[in-house]
Amino acid sequence: MNGLSRQLNVIDYSLSSLWRRRFKSISVMVVFAAVIFLLASFQMTTKALTQAASRLLVMAPEITIQKMRAGRQEPIPVAYQKQLAGIFGIRRITPRVWGYYFNETHAANLTVIGVDPRLMPLGEKLASAIDTGRLPGDHEVVLGQGAEELLGGNRIISLFRPDLSLKPLTVVGRFRPATDLLTYDTLFLPPDDARDLFLLPPELATDLCVTVANPSEVDTIAKKIAALLPGTRVLTRGQIEKTYHAVFGWRSGFASVCLLTALTSFIIFAWDKASGLTPEERREIGILKIVGWQTADVILLRFWEGVIVALLSFVAGYTLAYVHVAFFDAGLFRPIMLGWSVLHPRLRLSPGVELSDVLLVLCLTVVPYLAATVVPAWRAAIIRADSALN
Amino acid sequence: MFLNPWSVALCLLSLVVLILLGIASRTAVKVLRHWNPASDSNRQISLENETWLSSTLVQYALGFQLFSLVLFVLAADNFSHVISGAMCAVGSLTANRYGMPALWLKLAGAFLYGLWLVVHHFDISSERYPLLKFKYAALLGLMPLLGADIACQTLYLAGLKPDIITSCCAVVFGEGEGKGGNLMASLPENRTLALFYGLAAVLAVLGHFLFRRRRPSLMWLSGGLWAVFVGLSLAAITSVFSSYVYAMPYHHCPFCLLKPEYGYIGFLIYGALLPAGFFGISAALASLVPAASGLSAVVDRFQRRAVLISCLLLVVFVISVSYHLVLYRLSGGEG
Repeated sequence: MNGLSRQLNVIDYSLSSLWRRRFKSISVMVVFAAVIFLLASFQMTTKALTQAASRLLVMAPEITIQKMRAGRQEPIPVAYQKQLAGIFGIRRITPRVWGYYFNETHAANLTVIGVDPRLMPLGEKLASAIDTGRLPGDHEVVLGQGAEELLGGNRIISLFRPDLSLKPLTVVGRFRPATDLLTYDTLFLPPDDARDLFLLPPELATDLCVTVANPSEVDTIAKKIAALLPGTRVLTRGQIEKTYHAVFGWRSGFASVCLLTALTSFIIFAWDKASGLTPEERREIGILKIVGWQTADVILLRFWEGVIVALLSFVAGYTLAYVHVAFFDAGLFRPIMLGWSVLHPRLRLSPGVELSDVLLVLCLTVVPYLAATVVPAWRAAIIRADSALN
Repeated sequence: MFLNPWSVALCLLSLVVLILLGIASRTAVKVLRHWNPASDSNRQISLENETWLSSTLVQYALGFQLFSLVLFVLAADNFSHVISGAMCAVGSLTANRYGMPALWLKLAGAFLYGLWLVVHHFDISSERYPLLKFKYAALLGLMPLLGADIACQTLYLAGLKPDIITSCCAVVFGEGEGKGGNLMASLPENRTLALFYGLAAVLAVLGHFLFRRRRPSLMWLSGGLWAVFVGLSLAAITSVFSSYVYAMPYHHCPFCLLKPEYGYIGFLIYGALLPAGFFGISAALASLVPAASGLSAVVDRFQRRAVLISCLLLVVFVISVSYHLVLYRLSGGEG
């Protein structure tokens, strides 16, 4: 118990010593909290986006087949379905027509998706993603939140075909805001209308979606498809999810490296603050030495001061970052994480905080700070009592 | 795969530990060359001051090393989301041949830095600093271990290839198999459990005797058994206990225990087992301190405390690791 009460006494003394030098302590804490805020915000935004993507990808087909020519994607013949009929385990193959529609008025790209929901295994679930209205029938369309705002909220919209003739569509519904990451800029319509809009022949589709009965067979079936249809690219849902993780992880890593420069400047600042001892501080250490404190005790005192400053700044910075991401949708960083499209999905981010995320940010910020204050702490601790009091 | 926040954090941590131990080993070289307790020159006084710095630096390095051990496992778990075929940390640690060695080196590093601090504790208890030269020679000896640790970790991170969709389908299916398996083959469950609980009981009884009276032969027996017990426990956690925690008979993973979905129970299990093993083994190793150094009273006090701590942690460990197993066997199913 002796050791514990010694630690408690030193903590007590370090708190009072920090309070005596409160302007210096607060200036360090404010800068440190700002650095932690930046790093933690980025971390939480990445985490929330990755989680949102994984949650929404549950709806995606297990396998997607795209036709490739000269390294580029091109429309796939719908007749390919027949070649795949012999593969056991495939539940259904659904042709999908999709592409981008450039809206010249707003200089923004809209995503047009043409699928027959009755042919999708989770087609009935698609209806649950619709906020108001119903699934589209012939010459009808369901819009994402952003697309609806962009097109002016009219009941009938007219879009240009590539030959500049007009295609009218009736708006019959709108997607839920919760699915914004995938549907924000989307126009959802029957495949034949999408073909008509893009002037695509009826025997072609953009890609084929394959649903598989047994999830553990997905990779094997994907391999069989790739062998049967040379010249196609076969994507599995797991693959898409891993790519999302990798891309968000890469962006977040890149941002961390950029923010390391901010951290480095802070470390230099902290080192400087810890090294520059005022005459009063030297006197204080001199007196402590005279009343019996050892070098190790002064180092311990400085250690606890560092820990208290670091933890208070961490709590402040991390809490601010949470508020920034959860309540302000990470306004500072979203453009970097989501890309450069004009229509950004306006999704609500819900960062789930796990112990591992906290440890990660702690490691990126508190560890370098504590390391930077060791040598100044020791320098202060070896001050000789007689020289300090003269 | 260096451009990932986890990789950046691990590299930063290694760099910090390297700088701290680098400064400490500079002092070590100076002490080994110029230390002279009989002198009262300026150099000797500044060397005495520097010994305080180096021991503080090693303490920090130990703390950071423990942190890096936890972070490495959590990072591996996070990497499993981007590596093909990896289901959890086991998959990503075995994704290339440097993953597991890096983990073992980190464990060994934490153990040896801890041992160094025990020697340091003995040394500063006497005004004559009897173990000073040995202590600093040992510190220099730790540097290659740190180098190997950082090299393995860097090679591991460099060798990780995230599984991204490319324009060529062949790449996507290049390596989709294997790697998702288990670290080790299953052990015969009942025999392993009997050995595990038997050894734990023997250690507790030995601890009871050693706490009252430190007999060197028993001390060495206990230290040896602790080393065996730590190894056996790691194998038993992987092969037997973990699947009871996950309630999945074919998931034998020692790392998923650290995840929130299992209530972070791994932190309690490893947080008890590893320090218990450390104190159990270091109590025996402390007998190596020569009697001529005049430290026998300090060593005896340390051994008494170490035996007590290791026994208390042993109880915590056995209870926490058995909890799910007992619950399963008593309730006859998932609790």
